[in-house]
Amino acid sequence: MNKATGVNGPALSWASLLWLLLAEALVLLPLWFNVPLWLLGVWLGCSLWRALLTRQRKAAPGPLIKGALLAATVAGLYATVGTVIGLEFAAALLVAASVLKLLEVSTTRDARVVVMLGFFCLGVGYLFDASLAWALYSLLPLGALLATLVALEGPAGGRPVSMPLRRAGVMLAQALPLLVLLFVFFPRMGPLWSLPMPGDRARTGLSDTVAPGDIAELAQSAELAFRAAFEGPLPPRQALYWRALTLDRFDGTRWAQSDPGAVRQAAAWQPQGPGYRYRVIEEASGQPWLFMLDTGRLESPGARQGYDFRWQRPRVIDQAYSYEATGWPQAVREPSLSDAARRQALALPASGNPRSRELAARLAATSADPAQRVQALLRMFNQQDYHYTLRPSPLGSDSIDGFLFDTRRGFCLHYAGALTFLLRSMQVPARIVIGYQGGEFNPRGKYLSVRQYDAHAWVEYWVPGRGWASADPTAAVAPQRVEAGLAEALAADEPFLAASPFSALRYRQFAWLNELRLGWENLNYGWERWVLGYQENQQRQWLSQWFAGAADLILPVGGGVTLLIMALLILKPWRQRLDPQLRQYRAFEKALGRHGLVRAPAEGPQAFANRAGRMLPEQAGHIQAFTQAFSRLRYGAQPLAREEATAALRALKRQLPRPKRIQHDRS
Amino acid sequence: MIERWRARLARWQARRSPAAPRVTLDHRRIYILPSPAGYGYLFTMGLVLLAAINYQNSMAYALAFTLGGLFVVAILHTYRNLGSLELAAEPPASVFAGEPAHFALALQSQGREHLGIHVGWSAAQMQRCDIAPGQGLRLTLTSPTERRGWLAAPRIRLETRFPLGLVRAWSWVDLGQRALVYPAPLAGPLPPRSGPATDAEDHGWHVLDTGVDDFQGLQEYRPGDSWRRLHWKAYSKGQALLIKSFAEVRGRDPALDLDALDGPLEQRLSVLCHWVLALAREGRAFSLRLADTVLAPATDEHHREACLRALALFGARP
Repeated sequence: MNKATGVNGPALSWASLLWLLLAEALVLLPLWFNVPLWLLGVWLGCSLWRALLTRQRKAAPGPLIKGALLAATVAGLYATVGTVIGLEFAAALLVAASVLKLLEVSTTRDARVVVMLGFFCLGVGYLFDASLAWALYSLLPLGALLATLVALEGPAGGRPVSMPLRRAGVMLAQALPLLVLLFVFFPRMGPLWSLPMPGDRARTGLSDTVAPGDIAELAQSAELAFRAAFEGPLPPRQALYWRALTLDRFDGTRWAQSDPGAVRQAAAWQPQGPGYRYRVIEEASGQPWLFMLDTGRLESPGARQGYDFRWQRPRVIDQAYSYEATGWPQAVREPSLSDAARRQALALPASGNPRSRELAARLAATSADPAQRVQALLRMFNQQDYHYTLRPSPLGSDSIDGFLFDTRRGFCLHYAGALTFLLRSMQVPARIVIGYQGGEFNPRGKYLSVRQYDAHAWVEYWVPGRGWASADPTAAVAPQRVEAGLAEALAADEPFLAASPFSALRYRQFAWLNELRLGWENLNYGWERWVLGYQENQQRQWLSQWFAGAADLILPVGGGVTLLIMALLILKPWRQRLDPQLRQYRAFEKALGRHGLVRAPAEGPQAFANRAGRMLPEQAGHIQAFTQAFSRLRYGAQPLAREEATAALRALKRQLPRPKRIQHDRS
Repeated sequence: MIERWRARLARWQARRSPAAPRVTLDHRRIYILPSPAGYGYLFTMGLVLLAAINYQNSMAYALAFTLGGLFVVAILHTYRNLGSLELAAEPPASVFAGEPAHFALALQSQGREHLGIHVGWSAAQMQRCDIAPGQGLRLTLTSPTERRGWLAAPRIRLETRFPLGLVRAWSWVDLGQRALVYPAPLAGPLPPRSGPATDAEDHGWHVLDTGVDDFQGLQEYRPGDSWRRLHWKAYSKGQALLIKSFAEVRGRDPALDLDALDGPLEQRLSVLCHWVLALAREGRAFSLRLADTVLAPATDEHHREACLRALALFGARP
């Protein structure tokens, strides 16, 4: 029974090691998406090496080898990540540390260190992705880590392998009430200090410099951009233009912001027409922009409105972010334009695209009203041979000319770019608005899901006295794009989401699959809305709504009550004493004890009964009857013996002579 | 200073859980604190919480709280793993000085499973045992003996970290076990008879009415009678236990006397011990005199035990 016990605890058993390796594999799975992939090889190597070392009972590699491995790994990480600051490097280092530590694991103490690292890895994984799917998944690594701890402490062999897992599951379930209580009532606070954010990696989404190809790429992505839930009725689909930012500088091929760094005063605007109040949960975008139903007000700490009515946060959005806003699609925007702004909205390259400039000059002669000029251009797009496609023919150096007169095929950015160019050529101030259009309504959750393929570009032009007005040339070419969405706007030979064959969105024609998808998305929405979005503001709101005045008492009182209930449920004090059989045997012992018969600690029931029978010959029959019934009940699993035992005990008690002090030789 | 605190702690423990031959572990006897691994776990939990606060990450918060909740659950599970376990002491067998003393104890589950229970006298020497629900387990702790007299077993330490190893629950139990250690036997010359002779002819011999020489008949067995004289044939035929009774030819029995020997006290006691054993093995009657204590001549087991006991405890405070 004695086990060799070193300074660092007993040696690791094979079963414990297998649990540890399994837990490590499960913990690391989500992290492989965020750390250099060659670490996967290091992990496989270290796991196999460890398994072999333990199997063959060999010592861990010496300090020289370990040191060399560590140095090589860190150098490799620096070479692949490129920087030592930032969450990516920290996460990669953490993964590398827990992987290399595997080599050293030869005692239970080392194994516990790996388990602790595993818990921390799990937490770091949430910084990259905290979606419902990963949260559900993380029950697996958490359970495996706990099972490893149980296996490290549990009996060596001869037990079912499932015991650690079962115990871990039970403990997790029992920890749940405390988790819920702490999650809701533990006071949330702002960041204690600023830390590098996981925002550096490339994400799909809008950017502040756009060439036509970028939007075509976005149109291939079904990734979620944001969700919006409206208080009150849903706006008509034609009003769902989600403004992110404007592009007002054209260099001949690309559209960009004129001075992205400069912070300028918000332009004047006034609400007009119907206003829509809504809540947005924006997915991590790596950009600071918030999405506004064209023009409106937004409630979010630190968010500012820019000169082009865009809203943005002081820092980039690196995890799901929730805010409330009110938008007026028909607001009056900047009725009087400053000279500088006017110059900016008219700027064009000095030369290039001669045919377009000529067309503009011709049109300018027909009408002086900017709105009429726009109408004329939209009619042109609508009536002439223009097509909406995500696979346009390549354009030459004069891209606007090439598009307008030669290829005549393109998507939103082509049309918006051409329209803006033509308007500017006619001295009408104009710019491209980038954002999203439309969205898929989820009838269960009553919210809109806006995806990357809903990315859209349209035009706003300035009319003296009326301010900025919007025009969407894409709607003139392919009205379905605005009324129904991208999938309907594409020609029959052009597959929707060609690049992602497994996206459930491609199979919307199957009703049940679509139902399933919408249900899952709705769950995710609730998750982000109620769990991930539960931060400082929401907690304050919620607590004051439900526990006005008593919020400070909830944590101590609720905690105390929860602990008490947990203790009662786990310890079961009412069952603590004895099980009924043993309790009955104790009563038997007590009855005989009054006559000086005490069972010796190592004396079996039968031996005791024999001895008692000799001392109390008259009661020997009952004593034997009871003992035999007890044995059958306890060791033979014969529940019917219960009655016999009870009867024998009762008879014995009745027949026993009055207790008298009998001296017994126990010194 | 530390010694004084240790003594105070021991007194407090003795008050809190007094010695008893049968002890059920309960909240008065169980102490519980985080293990070193538990402190590491709490540190990890703190790190996760810090990351949650700084990154405003709800899931990291949830993980930190799950770890916290699990720690509380682990405390309860670990306590439950040790609680309600029953310990009982068996009276240990007497040994001769120099032989290891074995203290047997029985662990009995009262319906719960007890896994990973470490039992021992010091943290360095613990035996691990697992007890199934309702089952018992017997184990022996061994202690070296050096001196004759009573050897009290130290407080027994029971410790468990099951299930997670994060929390250590332990108990110090005093079952009041003590083993009698006889002097180590030492061969030497038979002590000459000393003191006032009861009879002129007697020189180291006493006369006894029962002896080993002449078969007299059968008597009913009384506890303490020598097993060597059991009438096995009768017993095997289903009769009661009978003792063959002999009448000894009146003769002289050896009288062992401490004062008759020379040398250091312990050495003299060892020599007497040797002779007690030797004479008892031969079934001969003998008397023993240790200063004021005189044990009359006899041959039975009781006599042998009484003599050894007197030798072991000679000079000890009662």
